[in-house]
Amino acid sequence: MMERDRKVIGGFETKIDIRELSDRRAKFILSGVSSAFANAIRRSAIAEVPTLAIEDINIYENTSVLFDEMLALRLGLIPLETDLESYVLRSECKCEEGCPQCQVSLTLSAEGPKVVYSGELKSSDPKIVPSDERIPLIKLMEGQKVYLEAIARLGKGQEHSKWQPAMCSYKNMPIISVSKCNGCGDCVEVCPTGILKLDDTLKITNELDCSLCRLCEDICELGAIHIGSDPTAFVFNLESHGSLPAEEVILRSIDNIKEKTDGLKKCLKKLS
Amino acid sequence: MYMIPVRCFTCGNVISSSWEDYKKRVEERKKEMGTNEIRVGDILDDLGIKRYCCRRMILSHVELVDALAKY
Repeated sequence: MMERDRKVIGGFETKIDIRELSDRRAKFILSGVSSAFANAIRRSAIAEVPTLAIEDINIYENTSVLFDEMLALRLGLIPLETDLESYVLRSECKCEEGCPQCQVSLTLSAEGPKVVYSGELKSSDPKIVPSDERIPLIKLMEGQKVYLEAIARLGKGQEHSKWQPAMCSYKNMPIISVSKCNGCGDCVEVCPTGILKLDDTLKITNELDCSLCRLCEDICELGAIHIGSDPTAFVFNLESHGSLPAEEVILRSIDNIKEKTDGLKKCLKKLS
Repeated sequence: MYMIPVRCFTCGNVISSSWEDYKKRVEERKKEMGTNEIRVGDILDDLGIKRYCCRRMILSHVELVDALAKY
């Protein structure tokens, strides 16, 4: 458990409690914010953080059973490891035709019989490679060939889901309270997440895993267990698809919100 | 479908990289048990496919690429 930062936003004391942080996954509790604020972070992480994905494809040869379009779609969905420091969005680039600052070229050339994996894509920039090498792209039979060039560009999830950097969701912080329990154990059996344990008394092992389904409330004849939720605390769950580390996705999504609010401020100042 | 979709239709998680492992392990288990009626839930758990949207992608997939390769 780590407490990173304490700040006061809009009268609440805002707190972030990081429960899990790895390259691909992040789980944290953001408390003292409104649901609108939590949702802004979620939406920004999904739709506004740019990543690289294959956008244009020149197919020189494709004699496999997959149509060109199907192959192109599969290629587009491969997550590419993205370096946001060295690439810019096409719309923000000074060039008109595409340059090494806003695009990367990847080539694929293979001959059957074999299964072609994403790891066989050869990139012009050694830093930009598929984050998963074991994605099967096409199965080639004897004598079938594929030769193509793919152009990857930065893009945002709001345009196409292939540019979505992560899956991000949140739920309200569960609060489980028990009073006047007679220890019958019905709730322990019915709980789908298995967070309730019965020793002498009823114990709650991992409150965060509660899915707020309220099955325990329904089965308890005494009404001894109550599931509530904190409307100002949110349990965030973020899973990166591989193009960016989970931490970077969150930080960039917050930077994006800041940029947008600064832009709004400037606009309003001009008006007044 | 021709080949396993690269990502889950619903959440966008990459699931295709687990397909071959899954297929191999299911075949092994079928041989071991001597029946086609086996449980595969723990294999999916083991491969790290947790959500039911991703699980149905793998569970319901029928690979047709080999059948079509003749034509």
